[in-house]
Amino acid sequence: MSQTTAVRHPEAPQGSSARPAKPPPSPLLVIGLLGAVVVTVLAGWTIDFSLAPVVEQWPMLTMILEEVVHPEWEEITDPSSRLWVALKETAAIAVIATFVGSLIALAVALLGSKVSAPPAVYRVTKSVMSVIRSLPDMAYALVFVAVVTGPLPGILALTLFNIGIVAKLTAESIDAVDPGPLEALDAAGATGWQRARVAIVPAVLPNYASYVLYVFEINIRASVVLGAVGAGGVGQLIMLYFNRADYPRLAAVVIVIFVVVIAIDLLSQVLRRRLV
Amino acid sequence: MTTDAKARPKPPPKWPYTVAGLVLIGVVLLAGWSLEDAKWERLPQFPGEILQYAGQMLDGVLTWPGAHPEGQSDPDLTYGDWWLDSLSLMGESVALAWIGTCVGALFSFPLAFLAASNTAPWFVRVPVRTFFNAIRAVPEILLAVIVMLPLFGLNPMAGAMAIGIHSIGSLGKLTLENVEAVDPRPVEAVTAAGASWWQRVRTAVVPQMLPETVAFWLYRFEVNIRASAILGVVSAGGIGALLNRVLRGREWEWGGIMLAVIIIVTIVVDQISAGLRHRILHGTETSMAGAAA
Repeated sequence: MSQTTAVRHPEAPQGSSARPAKPPPSPLLVIGLLGAVVVTVLAGWTIDFSLAPVVEQWPMLTMILEEVVHPEWEEITDPSSRLWVALKETAAIAVIATFVGSLIALAVALLGSKVSAPPAVYRVTKSVMSVIRSLPDMAYALVFVAVVTGPLPGILALTLFNIGIVAKLTAESIDAVDPGPLEALDAAGATGWQRARVAIVPAVLPNYASYVLYVFEINIRASVVLGAVGAGGVGQLIMLYFNRADYPRLAAVVIVIFVVVIAIDLLSQVLRRRLV
Repeated sequence: MTTDAKARPKPPPKWPYTVAGLVLIGVVLLAGWSLEDAKWERLPQFPGEILQYAGQMLDGVLTWPGAHPEGQSDPDLTYGDWWLDSLSLMGESVALAWIGTCVGALFSFPLAFLAASNTAPWFVRVPVRTFFNAIRAVPEILLAVIVMLPLFGLNPMAGAMAIGIHSIGSLGKLTLENVEAVDPRPVEAVTAAGASWWQRVRTAVVPQMLPETVAFWLYRFEVNIRASAILGVVSAGGIGALLNRVLRGREWEWGGIMLAVIIIVTIVVDQISAGLRHRILHGTETSMAGAAA
């Protein structure tokens, strides 16, 4: 290290060290860190945290993984297999739920922003939406599955879930719309419908389209999950093979889901980048 | 009139939008038609039935907790027991979401520096990023079914680890974006002063991106609470398993209480977490006033 020849500021204190003392950690930070540690210990204790099974059960896992790395390719290559039927069903569920959910969401978003709705309507809409969003899509599917079977409950659960997401994001975009065109329309005496049609919807359309793509992406993943409660699609197939411990077929399903999810992610990323 | 028409630019053609719209509607109709066993004819009755069941659920929620529900095998059972059971299972869900988030944060944090363009060379970056993307593409439930349930058995540890591994992918991506978004000037300054890679990261990068990253951890915790409810359905711990059983058994009052507990706990945790995130990112009014005084 070179010699310390730093030039001191003329008003710097002439103490043993010119460097200001490091501030002590704020008490809030200390409390926060302690709180995090306490919560972690409590949580670990609640779920009996233990990594011992990783060692104990390792042979079991390697046995399963050995089966998994030898997937049943016939499941993928045969276009009439259960997998392709289920995949078509998953795609159809996602398409319908995205379409219907997004259409309703646009209307809800217009009611849920203070730019386009009177204060009373906007507050009620916002609070109803936040209650709808607080339940996971799975809970809706569970309730709906108890009413009807087949893909219909999945479609309805996803539709409701999509309304929640798209309406929230679009309402936020509407809040941020350029007020200039709106003022011009107001000055020209436009009705609420005309304002929405001419100034608001065109302004948020690119954002809206990108949110729609985003939920479509989520829907493909979610319909994998929804099947696990019996709402149709690939998820149901996963549970079937899991319960039969048919790991080679399960692996085939996983490979296809993996590829489909990544492909859709990439596609929608490219599209969204062009939109916004 | 003719000058007017010339001065005005021609509006762009509308037919591409019309065609796109028709194609979209065609795809949706095709999708609807391809679902053979979708019972579309049940759709009109559906809202009525749901409202009826929702009413029963609400009854369960609004009944005095000391009362005894009808038609149960155990005569001592009260609504209060249902509330307590739901709360303790929801506690388990929250706990496994927390542990999962911790696992995700612990592993994603160092990995993110190996994946960011300003802290890692491309031959390290590309594999780490691919790893993040690959993990994110596998839904938690698949991870739980294939790896975690055989490993940990039907208990909350399986759910926590499934959530944890999945969180590495999503947190890693967000963290690496934070690392890439840091102001390059402090980094250049310490590089010019001869700092090693480690010193550069420690003094110029981490202090800049830490608050936002911690805020993301909290946000991920909120997301993971919702995911943990799902994992219960495959018996990987938490409230989902019982919810699945109760709703399938059409015990609407009990189910209503469970859903109410899920909503209340989710909202409370979200509020606390949102408050903490705001505090981490923006500080508080009081501390600013204190600093000014």
